[in-house]
Amino acid sequence: MADTSAVEVNGLWVKYGDFAAVRNVTFSVVRGEIFGFLGANGAGKTTTIRVLCGLLTPTEGTVRVCDLSPQDGLLPIKRKVGYMSQKFTLYNDLSVGENLDFTASLHKLDPAVYRKQRDELLRFIAFDRPLNTMVLDLPGGIKQQVSLAASLLHNPEVIFLDEPTAGVTPAARVRFWELIRQLAGLGKTIFVTTHYMDEAEQCQRVALMRDGELIAIDTPANLKKSTFPQPLLELEPTTKTATTKIAEWKSSGAFDLFEPYGIRYHASVADQKIWKAIEADVEQHFHIKSIKPSLEDVFIRLVEGKSHGASI
Amino acid sequence: MNRTILGFLKKEFVQTLRDPRMRMLLFLAPIIQLTLFGVAISNDIKNVRLGVFMQPQDTVLQHIYDRCLASGWFIPAPSSQTDPYQQIQSGDAEAVLVAPEGGLTRSIYRGDGQLQLLVNATNAVRAQGIEQYVNTVIGLVTSDMNLFSPVTPPVQLDFRIFYNPTMETAVYMVPGVMCLLVCLLTIVLTSMSISREKEAGTFEMLIAAPVKPWEVILGKTLPYVLLGVSNIPLILIAAQTLFAVPMKGSLLVLGLSSLVFVCTTVSVGLLISTFARDQQQSMMGGFLFLFPANLLSGMMFPVENMPEVLKNLAYLNPLMYFVAILRNITLKGGEAHLILHHLAILSLMAGICMVVSFRRFNTTLQ
Repeated sequence: MADTSAVEVNGLWVKYGDFAAVRNVTFSVVRGEIFGFLGANGAGKTTTIRVLCGLLTPTEGTVRVCDLSPQDGLLPIKRKVGYMSQKFTLYNDLSVGENLDFTASLHKLDPAVYRKQRDELLRFIAFDRPLNTMVLDLPGGIKQQVSLAASLLHNPEVIFLDEPTAGVTPAARVRFWELIRQLAGLGKTIFVTTHYMDEAEQCQRVALMRDGELIAIDTPANLKKSTFPQPLLELEPTTKTATTKIAEWKSSGAFDLFEPYGIRYHASVADQKIWKAIEADVEQHFHIKSIKPSLEDVFIRLVEGKSHGASI
Repeated sequence: MNRTILGFLKKEFVQTLRDPRMRMLLFLAPIIQLTLFGVAISNDIKNVRLGVFMQPQDTVLQHIYDRCLASGWFIPAPSSQTDPYQQIQSGDAEAVLVAPEGGLTRSIYRGDGQLQLLVNATNAVRAQGIEQYVNTVIGLVTSDMNLFSPVTPPVQLDFRIFYNPTMETAVYMVPGVMCLLVCLLTIVLTSMSISREKEAGTFEMLIAAPVKPWEVILGKTLPYVLLGVSNIPLILIAAQTLFAVPMKGSLLVLGLSSLVFVCTTVSVGLLISTFARDQQQSMMGGFLFLFPANLLSGMMFPVENMPEVLKNLAYLNPLMYFVAILRNITLKGGEAHLILHHLAILSLMAGICMVVSFRRFNTTLQ
């Protein structure tokens, strides 16, 4: 396992006083994999990442990153991982070049090696502005890419990206994920947290966290299959009174999921008998279509639905 | 030099010196503050409005009054009132000389020279000063006129003033203000620089890198030690140019003493930053230290006059030691035993603050 795993987590607990932010989490990430780590706010994603980057010490359990354990010292782990946190970790009052210079000095990079690496990375992110451009003057998406370049300067084996595309434009997100795929193609292991389900779909495997616990881990396709063995129904309202009937159908026990999805609803049938009985009534108010579930449906069902006690 | 420390030095200098507000805070504000403090904080009493109630032929009192006005400490008070008390009450005069019945000259020759001085003592320090000045003038006039003792008195006081012969307040106040300014700058800048990293989230980036705690501590403090020391010549030149503060001692000793003091104040700033979560808390912590430190520094109020409890607190105050060192070097030439003793205490304080800060400083987020 050690040969192919970039990250191994076994029975991890992280407690702040009496509060357990991470509870008995076990998983592993294969080298070169794009691994998505999903969960609602406060689910324990950032805490787990901080443990893996050597920024927090676990209360219980074992962690190995690039075959190194925190017990052997945090510095060797920090040399092998790149970390891009939720916030913009660049200094706004420094230029792009000055930010990268400083990051290189933190990693004690040889000046010649650093310059070569910097130029390659700036080419990689297609940064076409002068190095003395102030970070403050960069658009959010470019700032994120420079931040990514800074976290890659020391050529890490594993890259931890904590909500890297939060607050940037859709076009910038698409561009950022192109870079992530290219990095994975170069053999880097990518460990990414995100709230965007379209981004999560691009991960090879996805782990779902809820209240500090790992509740599911698999490929996006398998997660959809296991969460929705029955086809998912998309209901588009056709009458003005359609929504007034929803509460009644929900309480009938026909569905185990009935959630709004834009102006439409996604529903999963739990009891075929009851469904057949009310299907005609539903069809009078909704246009019904059988669809493939998205990862967002999985997320809502497993993470949000159950956390709200909303098994309907 | 260690690449990480060099990187910190470059970054901190660029960040501090690029910001026009910081440049002003570092280089212009000390000069303005020094000028304001030097001019405003003065025990010298001047422009006292002095009134007099006497008969025209009272030559001795007229002579005393004229000498008072000629001294430069007094100016004549408007004489619209007919009653000396009213002259004080109305604010026309701060002090009034009132001749005895029949005049001072006649009363002296009668052998009971009694002169009344009414003083507005709403400002007790100023009132005491007025009394002393008038007494001095009376002494000079009576001596000049040989009014009481035509023969030389058995004991004559040969009064000589060393180190500040003109007894200018600014000469001893300005070195004190210099200490305060260096202290203020280094403590506030150091503590705020670390809190700013915590607030902006960049602190997480710092500690995610393979850096040792001492590298972060040194990297975040060394730039402010250098900036603090670089302020000393600037303030010194301003003090000499604007207030003619003498420089009797060695500049090298002053420079080395300043370095030790700046290291102490920077380590105090570092200690404050280990408690503060953001810049606001840092600023508050800095001022919570600075206000009592200023009052207990001996800059304005002699430590010897303080109650025992405050005196003991003053001995824990780095500012007190540097005020004494700086006054000693600039005015007296610098006594080795005093300077070495005070520098040893300052070094000990810096060491303790550093050790405590190091223990409190975490390179994890716990």
